Amino acid sequence: MNIAMFALRNAGRNKLRSAVTVGAMGLAGGIMILYGSLMDGVMTTMIRNVVDMEVGDIQIHRKGYRDDMDFYKSAPDTEGLARKLEAQGFYASPRLFGYGLSAAGSASSGVFLKGIDVGREKMVSKLHNHLLSGSWLDSRDMKGVVIGKKLARTLGVAVGGEIVVVSQAGDGSMANDLYIVRGVLKSVSESMDRSGVIMTDAAFRELMVFPEGAHEITLKRRDQSELLAVAAGRAVAVANGLEVKTWRELRPVIARVFDLWDVSMLFMLVITYSAITLVTFNASLMSVFERIPEFGMMKALGFTPGRVLQLVFAETLTLAVAACVVALAVGLPTAYYSQVYGIDLSHVWPGGSFGGVAFDPVWRSQITLKSTVTPLFFIFVVALLSALYPGVKAALINPVAAMRLR
Amino acid sequence: MIFLLSWRNLARRKRRAFITALTVALGVFLSVTFTALGDYAYTNMINTSAKMGYGHVTVEAEGYNVSPALDKRLNGVSDILSVIRSTDGVESAVPRITGQAMFSTASRSVGGVFMAIDPKAESQSTIAFLGAMAGGEMFGDAKGRGAVVGVKLMEKLNLKRGGKFVYTTTGATGDLVSESARVTGVFKTGVEEVDGSFVILPIGRMRDALGYADDEATMVVTFIKDQRNADATKAVLETSLAGRRLEVLTWSQTQADIAGHVAVDRAVNYIYQFLMGVMIAAGILNTVMMGVLERWREFGVMVAVGFRPSRLSLMVVIESFWLGIMGLVLGVIVTAPWYYYMSRTGIDLSGYMQEGTDVSGVLVDPTLKFRLYRESVVGILAGVFALTALAGLYPAWKAGRTNPVDALKNI
Amino acid sequence: MNAISTAIALLLLTAFTAGPGLAAEKPDGTARAKEILNKVDDMWRGKSSRAILTMKVQTANYTRAMSLEGWSKGKGMSLVRVTYPLKEKGTATLKTGPVIYTYLPKTDKTIRLTSGMMSGSWMGSHLTNDDLVKESRLTEDFTAVVTFEGQRDGAYAMDFSLTPKPDSAVVWGKITMTLHVEGNDYLPVTEVFYDEELKPARTIVFMDIKTFAGRRLPAVMKVTPADKPGEFTELVYQSLDFEIPLDDSFFSISQLRRD
Repeated sequence: MNIAMFALRNAGRNKLRSAVTVGAMGLAGGIMILYGSLMDGVMTTMIRNVVDMEVGDIQIHRKGYRDDMDFYKSAPDTEGLARKLEAQGFYASPRLFGYGLSAAGSASSGVFLKGIDVGREKMVSKLHNHLLSGSWLDSRDMKGVVIGKKLARTLGVAVGGEIVVVSQAGDGSMANDLYIVRGVLKSVSESMDRSGVIMTDAAFRELMVFPEGAHEITLKRRDQSELLAVAAGRAVAVANGLEVKTWRELRPVIARVFDLWDVSMLFMLVITYSAITLVTFNASLMSVFERIPEFGMMKALGFTPGRVLQLVFAETLTLAVAACVVALAVGLPTAYYSQVYGIDLSHVWPGGSFGGVAFDPVWRSQITLKSTVTPLFFIFVVALLSALYPGVKAALINPVAAMRLR
Repeated sequence: MIFLLSWRNLARRKRRAFITALTVALGVFLSVTFTALGDYAYTNMINTSAKMGYGHVTVEAEGYNVSPALDKRLNGVSDILSVIRSTDGVESAVPRITGQAMFSTASRSVGGVFMAIDPKAESQSTIAFLGAMAGGEMFGDAKGRGAVVGVKLMEKLNLKRGGKFVYTTTGATGDLVSESARVTGVFKTGVEEVDGSFVILPIGRMRDALGYADDEATMVVTFIKDQRNADATKAVLETSLAGRRLEVLTWSQTQADIAGHVAVDRAVNYIYQFLMGVMIAAGILNTVMMGVLERWREFGVMVAVGFRPSRLSLMVVIESFWLGIMGLVLGVIVTAPWYYYMSRTGIDLSGYMQEGTDVSGVLVDPTLKFRLYRESVVGILAGVFALTALAGLYPAWKAGRTNPVDALKNI
Repeated sequence: MNAISTAIALLLLTAFTAGPGLAAEKPDGTARAKEILNKVDDMWRGKSSRAILTMKVQTANYTRAMSLEGWSKGKGMSLVRVTYPLKEKGTATLKTGPVIYTYLPKTDKTIRLTSGMMSGSWMGSHLTNDDLVKESRLTEDFTAVVTFEGQRDGAYAMDFSLTPKPDSAVVWGKITMTLHVEGNDYLPVTEVFYDEELKPARTIVFMDIKTFAGRRLPAVMKVTPADKPGEFTELVYQSLDFEIPLDDSFFSISQLRRD
């Protein structure tokens, strides 16, 4: 006899009961899909914020530069080094740094100057997409700068406004020049927000009398699936005595924050899956137990214990499949919505920092195979496990005793 | 009679009742855990952040919050202080002068932030740095030349305890003013940003240096017994301090980053608990429904012998009600020891967290602990109970539609 | 400009000290040292000066040579303008009382010195903006004692030791000065600045005695930081005139921008 057919018919016999069982399990599964993808998405966004905004995958400095940010400790032969790194399979962007003062009208503020190779920088960071207003740098516009959000407010300038930047140039003279604000950045990090002024590398070199060298070379792996440590090794080979560090080494606090997130999310998942387990167990337990008398009847009519067990499992499997369908129907669309449109928390939290990294108030899901399949897998496992006890009981029960339960 | 009946019905299916009660108990457990963790963490963070400079409620010179500058100051500070201190719920209030300055020694100059205080008025519950001393002590004279400096700043300036440094800032008239100070103590919060740029100075000396009158200050920082009353306190103070040129702000206005973090975390927590609640309710619904369906024939018999269907409904509702109570009781039994442990001892995660992890400059407490406000407890109990009751509504309705003829058709 | 004005101030005392008379007095060392320093301050008051000088800076990263023209009046006003090289010509620093402005010709902007710029070096030299602000505070902030007086290395030398008053806002732990007395002239030789732990932090050496407007003064002043061997800032006076008729209005922001 076709067990499958039998199972299907049994399930269909009491639609309401089946529906309720499937509903409970399916809803739980759907919620887990949404939750899993949301957490995945937020994590990815946070990492991307760190990596894509400023740090990149790997950074190269002259040894000792990071300790005191000495203007004169630069990595030589910028163009040559960049080319060699590019040949090694990286996107490389040399950056120039300095400190100074900027003023507009009667307001002034200390600033952190950043000179970039506009074309190369686009391959390595997403900063150019992160504008609050105005537009990004243009390598032909030596007078255009992009400034941090809080700096714009302190100086009282908006896009199109003029600022003067003053500093001590590399040759000891007073560096000073006028710049036009091309764009204002969204929240990136405390220091960039409060004091960041980004200009083209040519503008920086001219202002600061700094014809050669770079203070930092930021790398991004062309092949993002390559292990960070392996990539770092290849960079070291080319970097000629310069210091090579991965973003995890450069930002240990953030790296830890992420690791902690991972752990706490796992913790949450375990708890939530336990809850699903209980619910699912409850549901499928019920649906088997209440039919024990029926099974007793079947045994009386000749069903072997083995077949009874098979039947129980088959039925449970059917319900599990249906539950999975419900889970997908509930979970995927909601997860998809929040992946495309995101859940905007900005009216609650306009954006701050956590462990020194700007926090994005828009939460997006990331639907991955893992976040979708794992809850489904769980549904199956739990359903089948929960069918085990009553199934065995049903298989072994004395038909007379079973029927008497009615 | 119905009560007895419903109770006995449940007793007939002990195992099932137990599993359902267990589900409810799990709900209670999880709800208490997450709510209590959150309440502790938020309160802790808010209180710590308050002690980092702005308090729970801040009285500032008009316009200071939007664009801070040392020429903006409060007058009549002693008057303001007495008004605040006599307000209900206020634990303490202290005057402060804060601003940016350049700190110099013979070897180096470093920019940073100063907080000028009256050491006699302050304590560990008003200023976090007092609880983070890593050597030496707080100065005692508000007019003296003592200073408490962050450990990283000491390194940058090549300073030792007892060493002298000069601070330069822009005074009330816009001119540069300089003063000297000697390090009496060092603090270490663990947050690099703070340890590398903060200096605590005596307010009396600062007033002289800046050209402030004796009764002037940048702000009056207020601490209240329960941080949840910040808005209410602000409203009270706005009334009692009306007519003066000042602003009253709560911590969510002066420390927006923290406020945001707490709000988001709380929102996530609620969403999560809601989802869990829905899941558990589904489970309960399933069970109760099962119970109704399997007694279909029995209900048919009851109606046939004169039981009104509406009373059947009521009976089912009461059964859910019993399940809810059992679940709650079980939940309390299971959760209580856990709660006791977590609220006294807690779990120390400091081994897993990098030292100095912060949220917008406020150190994150690596200990997981519980704290449950009365309102939260009531909320949880009511919530769980309501969920159980709601879950029973549909089956009850179903039960009320029992038609004895149909029901008894399947013998 | 502490160094310049210190130099000028010390040099000026020669005009008014009655050499032998003063030398004959030997009151308590502290009082005499203070008297000398006070004379310096008194000399400084009400006088004006105009100087043309060159400045050479040698650091590990660059070498600079500049020509400067400077005016001062009384205790608190001074204006220094760069005349060479062309790239920086017209850059000027104005000090009126405790306020300092810098004019930058390239952007035609005048910047007021804030506390954040205090530690910055002045024109890339070893003198800081702080030195400019702190000028002529010696007697206010320090207690001076004569520690040595007598023949040494073929000259009549006087050593001074200046200890900061406990509450003064100065970063130095101690300053020592050596003068040579030549007839009526008190000529500075060296000035050493010590940090709080009494380790030398920087040294100023005065050399090359010349006659300017009838007075004998060292024409060369060299500043050397203690922790960076090989680096120095050297000021060389080409000309120096005193009692120039100067209006107070000369020391104004609008004046900064001329030229």
